[in-house]
Amino acid sequence: MPQLLTARVTRPQGRPIRIWVPVLPTVLVLSPLLILATLAAAVACLVYHVRVVPALGAGWRLFFALPGTRIDIRDGRSAVLVSIW
Amino acid sequence: MNQRRDILDMLAEGKITPEEAEQLIAAIERDRPPVTAISEARPNGKAKYLHVVVDSTENDKPSRVNVRVPMQLLRAGVRLAALIPPQALARANAELSRSGVPFDLTQLKPDQLEALIEQLDELTVDVDEPDTTVRVFCE
Repeated sequence: MPQLLTARVTRPQGRPIRIWVPVLPTVLVLSPLLILATLAAAVACLVYHVRVVPALGAGWRLFFALPGTRIDIRDGRSAVLVSIW
Repeated sequence: MNQRRDILDMLAEGKITPEEAEQLIAAIERDRPPVTAISEARPNGKAKYLHVVVDSTENDKPSRVNVRVPMQLLRAGVRLAALIPPQALARANAELSRSGVPFDLTQLKPDQLEALIEQLDELTVDVDEPDTTVRVFCE
């Protein structure tokens, strides 16, 4: 399961912005919204004739497979780096 | 790869002979790390990440996109893709055909996609353009 999401935004002017998001506490805080989102996803699956349980399972596996993902974009002196640990 | 292109450019311009070009290319090949070095970096022989690196220069301003995706995430994505309903696949097929890509997505089975991801271990794609370099590889 992802533990930490880090983001760093570097701009030509000013200091770089660094953000650390601990995933588990964030998920716990947002759990009411996540339950609603899960219900909405289940309804959407039913509407579009997608099997609900395998779809939610696949989404869950996708979430668990996120650690190690890293996106690094640099354009001149601007840069964005997002890492999931 | 850029060195190789430079040599070919010099050959095309007649600055060097084909024999000299051959020698220079051979020298570059010697300097390259052997393919086995990549395999040795993987203790269990399995690639863990897919890398996509795009380097480009626009108006003398260099830009770089470096994306690392865990292979596990690709596998999970394939399982999710397997749940796409047939009617959506049919519509995607119609759009592909309209774009000149006659590809039948309904023939792609999850097992085949899994096998495809397994074989990505050895994948290396290098695209060299004067201003852009694209590299896709696994490690």
